[in-house]
Amino acid sequence: MRQDAVRGHLDGLLLAVLEPAPLHGYAIITAVQQRSGGVLELRTGTIYPALNRLERLGLLRSSWEAVGQRQRRCYELTDAGQRYLANERTAWQDFTTAIGSVLNPAASQPNGLAT
Amino acid sequence: MTTASKRTEAAESGPAESEPESRSDPVDEYVSTLDAALRGPVGAKSRMVAEVRDGLTETVAALTHQGVPYQRAVRQAVEEFGSADDLADSCQRELTIAQAQHTARAVAFTAPFLIACWYLVQNAGDIHDSPVPRTAQLLAVHLASVAGGAVLFAAATLAATGTLARWLPTPHRLPLYVAWTGTTASVSMAVAALALATASVLAENWLLTGLACSLAAVSHAVIAGSARACRQCARMPSMDPAIL
Repeated sequence: MRQDAVRGHLDGLLLAVLEPAPLHGYAIITAVQQRSGGVLELRTGTIYPALNRLERLGLLRSSWEAVGQRQRRCYELTDAGQRYLANERTAWQDFTTAIGSVLNPAASQPNGLAT
Repeated sequence: MTTASKRTEAAESGPAESEPESRSDPVDEYVSTLDAALRGPVGAKSRMVAEVRDGLTETVAALTHQGVPYQRAVRQAVEEFGSADDLADSCQRELTIAQAQHTARAVAFTAPFLIACWYLVQNAGDIHDSPVPRTAQLLAVHLASVAGGAVLFAAATLAATGTLARWLPTPHRLPLYVAWTGTTASVSMAVAALALATASVLAENWLLTGLACSLAAVSHAVIAGSARACRQCARMPSMDPAIL
Protein backbone atom coordinates (compact mmCIF):
# COMPACT_ATOMS: atom_id res chain seq x y z
CA MET A 1 0.00 0.00 0.00
CA ARG A 2 1.31 3.43 -0.82
CA GLN A 3 2.46 6.03 1.68
CA ASP A 4 -0.50 8.30 1.02
CA ALA A 5 -2.76 5.57 2.39
CA VAL A 6 -1.00 5.91 5.72
CA ARG A 7 -1.41 9.69 5.75
CA GLY A 8 -3.21 10.85 8.87
CA HIS A 9 -3.03 7.46 10.59
CA LEU A 10 0.62 7.46 11.56
CA ASP A 11 -0.04 8.35 15.22
CA GLY A 12 -2.54 5.52 15.64
CA LEU A 13 -0.26 2.98 13.93
CA LEU A 14 2.73 3.86 16.10
CA LEU A 15 0.71 3.82 19.31
CA ALA A 16 -0.89 0.49 18.39
CA VAL A 17 2.40 -1.36 17.86
CA LEU A 18 3.69 0.02 21.15
CA GLU A 19 0.66 -1.18 23.08
CA PRO A 20 1.95 -4.69 23.95
CA ALA A 21 5.48 -3.71 24.98
CA PRO A 22 8.10 -0.95 24.74
CA LEU A 23 10.06 -0.95 21.46
CA HIS A 24 12.90 0.99 19.86
CA GLY A 25 12.60 2.83 16.54
CA TYR A 26 13.71 0.08 14.22
CA ALA A 27 11.58 -2.54 15.98
CA ILE A 28 8.56 -0.23 15.65
CA ILE A 29 9.08 -0.05 11.90
CA THR A 30 9.36 -3.80 11.55
CA ALA A 31 6.33 -4.29 13.83
CA VAL A 32 4.18 -2.09 11.56
CA GLN A 33 5.38 -4.03 8.52
CA GLN A 34 4.77 -7.37 10.20
CA ARG A 35 1.31 -6.51 11.48
CA SER A 36 0.24 -5.26 8.05
CA GLY A 37 1.72 -8.32 6.34
CA GLY A 38 4.15 -6.05 4.53
CA VAL A 39 1.31 -4.05 2.97
CA LEU A 40 1.99 -0.77 4.77
CA GLU A 41 5.15 0.96 3.66
CA LEU A 42 6.44 3.65 5.97
CA ARG A 43 9.32 5.86 5.00
CA THR A 44 11.63 4.77 7.77
CA GLY A 45 13.23 8.10 8.56
CA THR A 46 9.93 9.86 9.21
CA ILE A 47 9.18 7.56 12.13
CA TYR A 48 11.73 9.27 14.37
CA PRO A 49 10.32 12.82 14.30
CA ALA A 50 6.83 11.32 14.64
CA LEU A 51 7.90 9.45 17.79
CA ASN A 52 9.45 12.64 19.15
CA ARG A 53 6.20 14.46 18.51
CA LEU A 54 4.13 11.81 20.31
CA GLU A 55 6.50 12.04 23.26
CA ARG A 56 6.10 15.82 23.33
CA LEU A 57 2.34 15.36 23.46
CA GLY A 58 2.74 13.06 26.46
CA LEU A 59 1.40 10.01 24.62
CA LEU A 60 4.75 8.19 24.78
CA ARG A 61 7.70 8.20 27.13
CA SER A 62 11.22 7.18 26.18
CA SER A 63 14.33 5.88 27.87
CA TRP A 64 17.83 5.07 26.61
CA GLU A 65 19.20 1.58 26.94
CA ALA A 66 22.70 0.32 26.20
CA VAL A 67 23.07 -2.26 23.44
CA GLY A 68 26.72 -3.21 23.21
CA GLN A 69 28.54 0.08 22.84
CA ARG A 70 25.53 1.88 21.43
CA GLN A 71 22.68 3.69 23.15
CA ARG A 72 19.20 2.92 21.92
CA ARG A 73 16.03 4.87 22.63
CA CYS A 74 13.00 2.79 23.65
CA TYR A 75 9.45 4.08 23.64
CA GLU A 76 6.44 3.01 25.66
CA LEU A 77 2.83 4.11 25.89
CA THR A 78 1.73 6.41 28.70
CA ASP A 79 -1.74 6.26 30.25
CA ALA A 80 -2.71 9.21 28.08
CA GLY A 81 -1.38 7.27 25.08
CA GLN A 82 -3.59 4.29 25.97
CA ARG A 83 -6.66 6.52 26.11
CA TYR A 84 -5.72 8.25 22.87
CA LEU A 85 -5.29 4.89 21.15
CA ALA A 86 -8.70 3.72 22.39
CA ASN A 87 -10.29 6.87 20.93
CA GLU A 88 -8.42 6.37 17.65
CA ARG A 89 -9.75 2.81 17.43
CA THR A 90 -13.33 3.93 18.06
CA ALA A 91 -13.04 6.72 15.51
CA TRP A 92 -11.54 4.32 12.93
CA GLN A 93 -14.33 1.78 13.58
CA ASP A 94 -17.00 4.44 13.10
CA PHE A 95 -15.30 5.66 9.94
CA THR A 96 -14.96 2.22 8.31
CA THR A 97 -18.56 1.35 9.25
CA ALA A 98 -19.83 4.53 7.64
CA ILE A 99 -17.76 4.04 4.47
CA GLY A 100 -18.75 0.37 4.34
CA SER A 101 -22.41 1.31 4.55
CA VAL A 102 -22.04 3.54 1.53
CA LEU A 103 -19.85 1.26 -0.56
CA ASN A 104 -21.71 -1.95 0.24
CA PRO A 105 -25.24 -1.06 1.41
CA ALA A 106 -26.61 -4.62 1.11
CA ALA A 107 -24.10 -5.99 3.62
CA SER A 108 -24.93 -3.31 6.18
CA GLN A 109 -28.74 -3.95 6.08
CA PRO A 110 -30.09 -6.08 8.97
CA ASN A 111 -31.41 -9.53 7.88
CA GLY A 112 -34.95 -9.44 6.53
CA LEU A 113 -35.10 -5.72 6.09
CA ALA A 114 -33.51 -5.59 2.66
CA THR A 115 -36.05 -4.90 -0.07
CA MET B 1 11.57 -16.57 12.41
CA THR B 2 10.33 -13.70 10.27
CA THR B 3 12.55 -11.49 8.15
CA ALA B 4 11.83 -8.52 10.39
CA SER B 5 12.77 -10.29 13.60
CA LYS B 6 15.91 -11.69 11.95
CA ARG B 7 16.82 -8.12 11.06
CA THR B 8 16.28 -6.95 14.61
CA GLU B 9 18.34 -9.80 16.03
CA ALA B 10 21.14 -9.10 13.60
CA ALA B 11 21.13 -5.43 14.47
CA GLU B 12 21.35 -6.17 18.18
CA SER B 13 24.36 -8.38 17.64
CA GLY B 14 26.24 -5.41 16.15
CA PRO B 15 27.66 -4.62 12.71
CA ALA B 16 28.27 -7.52 10.37
CA GLU B 17 31.80 -8.79 9.87
CA SER B 18 31.77 -7.74 6.25
CA GLU B 19 31.43 -4.08 7.28
CA PRO B 20 34.46 -2.23 5.97
CA GLU B 21 36.17 0.34 8.14
CA SER B 22 36.82 3.49 6.23
CA ARG B 23 36.91 7.17 7.04
CA SER B 24 34.12 8.08 4.64
CA ASP B 25 31.52 5.65 5.89
CA PRO B 26 28.25 6.33 4.00
CA VAL B 27 26.24 6.16 7.23
CA ASP B 28 28.56 8.77 8.78
CA GLU B 29 28.21 10.94 5.69
CA TYR B 30 24.42 10.66 5.78
CA VAL B 31 24.29 11.51 9.49
CA SER B 32 26.76 14.41 9.04
CA THR B 33 24.63 15.85 6.25
CA LEU B 34 21.54 15.55 8.42
CA ASP B 35 23.33 17.07 11.40
CA ALA B 36 24.52 20.03 9.32
CA ALA B 37 21.05 20.62 7.92
CA LEU B 38 19.27 20.76 11.29
CA ARG B 39 18.94 23.69 13.69
CA GLY B 40 17.66 23.48 17.23
CA PRO B 41 18.54 22.98 20.89
CA VAL B 42 21.83 21.08 21.17
CA GLY B 43 20.45 18.28 23.36
CA ALA B 44 17.30 17.66 21.33
CA LYS B 45 19.24 17.77 18.06
CA SER B 46 21.96 15.38 19.18
CA ARG B 47 19.33 12.93 20.52
CA MET B 48 17.43 12.99 17.24
CA VAL B 49 20.57 12.57 15.12
CA ALA B 50 21.83 9.76 17.38
CA GLU B 51 18.50 8.00 17.03
CA VAL B 52 18.56 8.25 13.23
CA ARG B 53 22.14 6.96 13.20
CA ASP B 54 21.11 4.04 15.38
CA GLY B 55 18.17 3.25 13.10
CA LEU B 56 20.36 3.40 9.99
CA THR B 57 23.01 1.21 11.63
CA GLU B 58 20.40 -1.36 12.59
CA THR B 59 18.92 -1.40 9.11
CA VAL B 60 22.33 -1.82 7.48
CA ALA B 61 23.35 -4.52 9.96
CA ALA B 62 20.12 -6.42 9.34
CA LEU B 63 20.59 -6.26 5.58
CA THR B 64 24.22 -7.36 5.69
CA HIS B 65 23.20 -10.20 7.98
CA GLN B 66 20.91 -11.36 5.18
CA GLY B 67 23.92 -11.43 2.85
CA VAL B 68 23.52 -8.07 1.16
CA PRO B 69 26.95 -6.48 0.48
CA TYR B 70 27.69 -3.56 2.80
CA GLN B 71 27.66 -0.76 0.22
CA ARG B 72 24.41 -2.03 -1.28
CA ALA B 73 22.94 -2.42 2.20
CA VAL B 74 23.78 1.20 2.95
CA ARG B 75 22.21 2.37 -0.30
CA GLN B 76 19.09 0.35 0.44
CA ALA B 77 18.90 1.63 4.02
CA VAL B 78 19.27 5.23 2.87
CA GLU B 79 16.58 4.63 0.26
CA GLU B 80 14.24 3.36 2.98
CA PHE B 81 15.04 6.36 5.18
CA GLY B 82 14.70 8.93 2.41
CA SER B 83 17.36 11.46 1.51
CA ALA B 84 19.03 13.39 4.33
CA ASP B 85 17.46 16.62 3.05
CA ASP B 86 13.95 15.13 3.03
CA LEU B 87 14.47 13.70 6.48
CA ALA B 88 15.80 17.05 7.72
CA ASP B 89 12.53 18.71 6.71
CA SER B 90 10.49 16.33 8.85
CA CYS B 91 12.94 16.43 11.79
CA GLN B 92 13.21 20.21 11.69
CA ARG B 93 9.58 20.82 12.69
CA GLU B 94 10.07 19.06 16.02
CA LEU B 95 13.38 20.81 16.61
CA THR B 96 11.81 24.18 15.80
CA ILE B 97 9.06 23.51 18.33
CA ALA B 98 11.68 22.36 20.87
CA GLN B 99 13.57 25.63 20.30
CA ALA B 100 10.34 27.62 20.66
CA GLN B 101 9.69 25.86 23.97
CA HIS B 102 13.26 26.59 25.05
CA THR B 103 12.84 30.28 24.24
CA ALA B 104 9.43 30.40 25.91
CA ARG B 105 10.89 28.84 29.06
CA ALA B 106 13.78 31.34 29.03
CA VAL B 107 11.30 34.21 28.79
CA ALA B 108 9.00 32.69 31.40
CA PHE B 109 11.74 32.05 33.94
CA THR B 110 13.90 35.14 33.58
CA ALA B 111 11.36 37.91 33.10
CA PRO B 112 9.69 37.44 36.52
CA PHE B 113 13.10 38.03 38.12
CA LEU B 114 13.31 41.36 36.38
CA ILE B 115 9.80 42.34 37.45
CA ALA B 116 10.45 41.30 41.06
CA CYS B 117 13.74 43.19 41.13
CA TRP B 118 12.16 46.29 39.77
CA TYR B 119 9.44 46.07 42.41
CA LEU B 120 12.16 45.92 45.08
CA VAL B 121 13.99 48.88 43.64
CA GLN B 122 10.82 50.92 43.44
CA ASN B 123 9.95 50.28 47.08
CA ALA B 124 13.36 50.33 48.70
CA GLY B 125 15.29 53.37 47.61
CA ASP B 126 14.85 57.02 48.44
CA ILE B 127 15.45 58.23 44.93
CA HIS B 128 12.46 60.50 44.45
CA ASP B 129 14.46 63.68 44.92
CA SER B 130 16.46 63.21 41.74
CA PRO B 131 14.58 63.44 38.39
CA VAL B 132 17.00 61.21 36.53
CA PRO B 133 16.49 58.03 38.58
CA ARG B 134 12.73 58.60 38.45
CA THR B 135 12.87 58.74 34.65
CA ALA B 136 14.93 55.60 34.63
CA GLN B 137 12.46 54.06 37.02
CA LEU B 138 9.47 54.88 34.82
CA LEU B 139 11.20 53.58 31.72
CA ALA B 140 12.12 50.34 33.43
CA VAL B 141 8.55 49.91 34.70
CA HIS B 142 7.22 50.20 31.15
CA LEU B 143 9.83 47.79 29.86
CA ALA B 144 9.04 45.37 32.66
CA SER B 145 5.39 45.52 31.50
CA VAL B 146 6.54 44.44 28.06
CA ALA B 147 8.46 41.58 29.67
CA GLY B 148 5.32 40.68 31.64
CA GLY B 149 3.32 40.44 28.41
CA ALA B 150 6.06 38.28 26.94
CA VAL B 151 5.85 35.97 29.95
CA LEU B 152 2.11 35.48 29.42
CA PHE B 153 2.66 34.67 25.74
CA ALA B 154 5.48 32.28 26.69
CA ALA B 155 3.19 30.45 29.11
CA ALA B 156 0.52 30.16 26.41
CA THR B 157 3.13 28.80 23.99
CA LEU B 158 4.26 26.13 26.44
CA ALA B 159 0.64 25.06 26.90
CA ALA B 160 -0.09 25.08 23.14
CA THR B 161 2.95 22.98 22.26
CA GLY B 162 2.52 20.56 25.16
CA THR B 163 -0.42 18.35 26.05
CA LEU B 164 -2.88 20.87 24.60
CA ALA B 165 -1.50 20.00 21.15
CA ARG B 166 -3.28 16.62 21.38
CA TRP B 167 -6.54 18.41 20.66
CA LEU B 168 -5.47 21.68 19.05
CA PRO B 169 -3.04 21.80 16.13
CA THR B 170 0.03 23.91 16.82
CA PRO B 171 0.00 26.96 14.53
CA HIS B 172 2.81 26.66 12.00
CA ARG B 173 4.02 30.22 12.61
CA LEU B 174 3.95 29.98 16.41
CA PRO B 175 7.76 29.48 16.71
CA LEU B 176 8.28 32.68 14.69
CA TYR B 177 5.97 34.62 17.00
CA VAL B 178 7.80 33.18 20.01
CA ALA B 179 11.13 34.20 18.47
CA TRP B 180 10.03 37.80 18.02
CA THR B 181 8.39 37.90 21.44
CA GLY B 182 11.68 36.70 22.93
CA THR B 183 13.56 39.31 20.92
CA THR B 184 11.23 42.05 22.18
CA ALA B 185 11.64 40.86 25.77
CA SER B 186 15.43 40.70 25.43
CA VAL B 187 15.63 44.22 23.96
CA SER B 188 13.38 45.56 26.70
CA MET B 189 15.60 43.93 29.31
CA ALA B 190 18.74 45.39 27.76
CA VAL B 191 17.20 48.87 27.94
CA ALA B 192 15.93 48.17 31.46
CA ALA B 193 19.43 47.10 32.49
CA LEU B 194 20.77 50.38 31.13
CA ALA B 195 18.10 52.36 32.97
CA LEU B 196 18.75 50.50 36.21
CA ALA B 197 22.50 50.99 35.82
CA THR B 198 21.91 54.73 35.55
CA ALA B 199 19.64 54.62 38.58
CA SER B 200 22.15 52.62 40.59
CA VAL B 201 24.79 55.28 40.03
CA LEU B 202 22.50 58.09 41.14
CA ALA B 203 20.47 56.34 43.81
CA GLU B 204 21.49 56.00 47.42
CA ASN B 205 20.43 52.38 47.51
CA TRP B 206 22.83 51.45 44.77
CA LEU B 207 23.38 47.87 45.94
CA LEU B 208 19.79 46.79 45.36
CA THR B 209 19.50 48.72 42.13
CA GLY B 210 22.78 47.31 40.96
CA LEU B 211 21.58 43.80 41.70
CA ALA B 212 18.41 44.40 39.70
CA CYS B 213 20.53 45.77 36.87
CA SER B 214 22.74 42.67 36.87
CA LEU B 215 19.76 40.34 36.79
CA ALA B 216 18.22 42.29 33.93
CA ALA B 217 21.49 42.04 32.02
CA VAL B 218 21.73 38.28 32.61
CA SER B 219 18.07 37.84 31.58
CA HIS B 220 18.79 39.77 28.40
CA ALA B 221 21.78 37.56 27.58
CA VAL B 222 19.83 34.34 28.14
CA ILE B 223 16.75 35.35 26.18
CA ALA B 224 18.62 37.06 23.33
CA GLY B 225 20.62 33.92 22.48
CA SER B 226 17.60 31.67 22.60
CA ALA B 227 15.44 34.09 20.60
CA ARG B 228 18.12 34.33 17.89
CA ALA B 229 18.29 30.54 17.64
CA CYS B 230 14.49 30.41 17.49
CA ARG B 231 14.41 32.90 14.60
CA GLN B 232 16.91 30.73 12.71
CA CYS B 233 14.83 27.60 13.33
CA ALA B 234 11.60 29.29 12.30
CA ARG B 235 13.14 30.20 8.93
CA MET B 236 14.06 26.58 8.16
CA PRO B 237 11.80 24.53 5.88
CA SER B 238 9.85 21.93 7.84
CA MET B 239 6.82 19.67 7.74
CA ASP B 240 4.66 18.11 10.42
CA PRO B 241 5.44 14.36 10.81
CA ALA B 242 1.80 13.71 11.75
CA ILE B 243 0.63 14.40 8.19
CA LEU B 244 3.38 12.61 6.30
